[in-house]
Amino acid sequence: MAPKLSEIFPESCLLIVVGVVIGVILVHVTGSVHMSPLTPDTFFIYMLPPIILDAGYFMPNRLFFDHLGTILLFAVIGTIFNTLAIGASLWAVGQTGMFQCGETPPLDMFLFAALISAVDPVAVLAVFEEIHVNEILYIVVFGESLLNDAVTVVLYHMFEAYSEMKDTGIITMDVVAGCANFFVVAIGGTVIGVFWGVATGFVTRFTNEVRVIEPIFIFVMAYMAYLCAEIFHMSGILAVTFCGITMKNYVEGNVSHKSHTTIKYTMKMLSSSSETIIFMFLGVATVNKLHMWNTWFVVLTIVFCSVYRAIGVIVLTALANRFRLNQLSKVEKFVMSYGGLRGAVAFALVLLIDEDKVHLQPMFMTTTIAVVYFTVFFQGITIKPLVKILNVKTAEKRKPTMNERIHEKLMDHLMTGVEDILGQHGNYHVRDRFKRFDNKYIRPFLLRNYQGAEPKILETYSKLAMRDAMEFMRRNASTIGNISGTESMSGIFKNYTAGNLDGSTSFSQLDSSNWNVDMQELEYNPSKKDLTDAKIHHLLAEELCQPKRHRRLSYSRHAVNDRDLSTQVNYKMHYNMRRLVGDSKRHHHKRHSKKLQKDGKQNHVSFPEFQQNGTAKQFSHDYISQVLSEEELPDPKSNKEEWDSPITFTAKSSLTDESIYSDGVKRTSRGSIDESTRVTTPTATETMLPWKRDDEDECSAPLQQSEFPAWASNKEYLAYNSPSATFLGGLENNRSSVIGLFRRDSAASGHVSSCESSPQKERRSSSGPNAVILIEEDVPDPLGVLTRQSTVPTTSQPPLTPNPRRQIRRGSMLEISGCVDDTSNNNTQTSHNNTEFHTRRKD
Amino acid sequence: MGNRSSLLLREEEIAQIQQESGFTPNQIERLYSRFTSLDRGDCGTLSREDFLRIPELAINPLGERIVNSFFQGDIYNDRVNFRQFMNVLAHFRPVKKNKDNKLNSREAKLKFAFKMYDLDNDDLISRDELLAILHMMVGANISEEQLTSIAERTILEADEDGDQMISFEEFCKALQRTDVEQKMSIRFLN
Repeated sequence: MAPKLSEIFPESCLLIVVGVVIGVILVHVTGSVHMSPLTPDTFFIYMLPPIILDAGYFMPNRLFFDHLGTILLFAVIGTIFNTLAIGASLWAVGQTGMFQCGETPPLDMFLFAALISAVDPVAVLAVFEEIHVNEILYIVVFGESLLNDAVTVVLYHMFEAYSEMKDTGIITMDVVAGCANFFVVAIGGTVIGVFWGVATGFVTRFTNEVRVIEPIFIFVMAYMAYLCAEIFHMSGILAVTFCGITMKNYVEGNVSHKSHTTIKYTMKMLSSSSETIIFMFLGVATVNKLHMWNTWFVVLTIVFCSVYRAIGVIVLTALANRFRLNQLSKVEKFVMSYGGLRGAVAFALVLLIDEDKVHLQPMFMTTTIAVVYFTVFFQGITIKPLVKILNVKTAEKRKPTMNERIHEKLMDHLMTGVEDILGQHGNYHVRDRFKRFDNKYIRPFLLRNYQGAEPKILETYSKLAMRDAMEFMRRNASTIGNISGTESMSGIFKNYTAGNLDGSTSFSQLDSSNWNVDMQELEYNPSKKDLTDAKIHHLLAEELCQPKRHRRLSYSRHAVNDRDLSTQVNYKMHYNMRRLVGDSKRHHHKRHSKKLQKDGKQNHVSFPEFQQNGTAKQFSHDYISQVLSEEELPDPKSNKEEWDSPITFTAKSSLTDESIYSDGVKRTSRGSIDESTRVTTPTATETMLPWKRDDEDECSAPLQQSEFPAWASNKEYLAYNSPSATFLGGLENNRSSVIGLFRRDSAASGHVSSCESSPQKERRSSSGPNAVILIEEDVPDPLGVLTRQSTVPTTSQPPLTPNPRRQIRRGSMLEISGCVDDTSNNNTQTSHNNTEFHTRRKD
Repeated sequence: MGNRSSLLLREEEIAQIQQESGFTPNQIERLYSRFTSLDRGDCGTLSREDFLRIPELAINPLGERIVNSFFQGDIYNDRVNFRQFMNVLAHFRPVKKNKDNKLNSREAKLKFAFKMYDLDNDDLISRDELLAILHMMVGANISEEQLTSIAERTILEADEDGDQMISFEEFCKALQRTDVEQKMSIRFLN
């Protein structure tokens, strides 16, 4: 039942009905309280602007300006004609005494006619959105309803003023002033709107640093335009409309993609909320006790409205067709006259009438409601079937193809050229003029990335390229992994597009041509160094990315952190890559993967296939595997040993820190790590870094440590593996060493408290000092990584407290290791206790 | 000048042009006066330079191509007379339903646009021809690779027989949903 109901009745009708029901309930429940939620103030200040802004912002500019002449003809001449005709007719009938409501002063009738004759944008939008008539018809009716606001406002105020000063008499001057007022109101509103539109464009040029509040500028500034116009008694509707029309192009060029989505949906949400509220309130406001029903007046008003609307449309289209390239047909004329819906604007205006000055106000209100109901219900419901019966060309919504874009552009230029040859200055000529001006002066000034003359072509192109890419990913997600590694992403898209568009015929040709889908694409030819670097980076990134921390880290008042998603994906991706690396060690890998998968389950949805594929694709490059295998080669032996042997944990200088450091250091240190795991020669960093140089000699024996940190007794450590000193060691059998540091780093946003002991592998005795103890205060076991033997006495906080509040990872590490070294030196000299703690790896 | 030019145009000439192109006599006279005002040398024909002397046309990115299309019929002749001029312009007359239109049918309009691309007259738009047009329209701000990929994407989209060219049939098909009749029409003043 429900879907059928909404098919038959437009939304606006149903909303009014709901409103009436609510109104009836309210009146019965609350007794005699007069409910009028729809006051003119709320309507004009809060509800109307969002709808108009939405209309202006999403107005098809070109269409609008192509038909501006026709639209203006209807909006200005048509509305004035309707007002005068309806007013005069009502007054004439009133003279016969048919209404039996006493005196019907002509000015009151004109006042009423002024508010009742205007086509209402809200009602038109509500109905025309649903019937999908062709765009020309839509733009003419809708444009008229927007632009006639100026006329309505002026006529309304003019007649209001006249009817108030009818005692003193109206002189010709007043009439002239009224006409002049029209131009002031209309042009003033437009100018204010354009001004604010340009201002908005200019502001958004600088909002790229504050993406989160970017969308608000559009709304606030458009509303400012509205208020500004209203303050000066200009047409607010015109101001907002033109503000939206003006700002659109520049704003769209400046804001980010996400802001664009935000703007779009917020605007649509606001406007449809307003629309809903307006129609419901209209229904609620119907139910009150101030009505003064006058059958003849109501009937005649409806008749006059319909008849004069039809007459006006017929006469004016005949006039317009003389100057139009595509003629408005009879059917279109009919839809135009039938689509002249009245709505809430009229109702709000009628509420504004002062009853003391105009005694017929209650009757006007009742009649207005009746007319609104008639147009919204009767015409609104019947227009849909009528459009079908009359076979009105309906619009088809679609995205332009590349060909259409380019060829239509060409036709534009061609027609401009022909107009110039003919010496006629028509539409094309004016548009071309404006475009040239726009490109030369306005765009460079308002746009952050000025892209050149034809942004639309580029836009279409990137949209299409994007769509191809998405399509490809969606359909072929499972095959990505099978694509040979030599292919770049653009190569994939290339093939896909080719296959998609014209079958398999042109594959080979395409491959030979240097077709490039991705406009930004760089051919990525990584050197070995880059690859190594990238690999370590990825490993680190994986370790870094403990999904738990996302919320906290990403919280920022002024920015939306978009990394959340990507890091999670990376997490899995890199995990897969890792699996590739550690392929030879099944058992390690299995164990580890279990753990990781657990993590994955807890924290985010993972797409194993997809990421697997991605990984495979990414790393099936020849040189990548070469690099990977190189790295693997030396490791197994040492790791095997290491795996089983208990690890002694001493305070020594170590390489862990370097290996953990972010990219720059990492690259250089990686080589040295490899070496030092096998050979005991000091690495470059060891000799370079001051504190390391210092204890080079002294620390050949394991250092003692008098006190142990709180974590030392923490049983939770047992659940994890102890880290290995070298990065590759960690890579092979245990990732925790690196994890710990960063996890801690992020988990405890305050004091980063960690003890990372990185015992040098089984070689520690021979190789001398190589471990780092990093101890910080607060959290006893931030790492969840280290294991230690229970023999180690638990003591209070260690004396070695590095500078707290180290936010930068590298800084803190350096600092910490420095401290450690210092303290350990002291320890060695003073107590010589020779305490070692052995960390056993639990498997 | 207007008067003089209309005097120079003989009745039978008007009738012939009217028959060929479908313009009304009023339009023909009007266009003839425009023609003569463009014709600086008063020799009854227009050269490319005469066209390009129109300031707006000179800065039209496709100005030269548009002028070129007036000289389509005869490659050796570098001047166009009034009849040829009118026949070219007849392409842009609005389509009237009940009349039999030869020059301003949808197909004729499309053909005209197609010819704008097709420099070498082989009835195919190649990648380079499309690229040349894109160059003119989009200008210098966009890199060569981008333009190339746009051109290739466009050809790929329209190309149906896989020859990496857009034939006229493919061109028409690509613009199937475009209101060419309206887009390539102009309201000639009377």
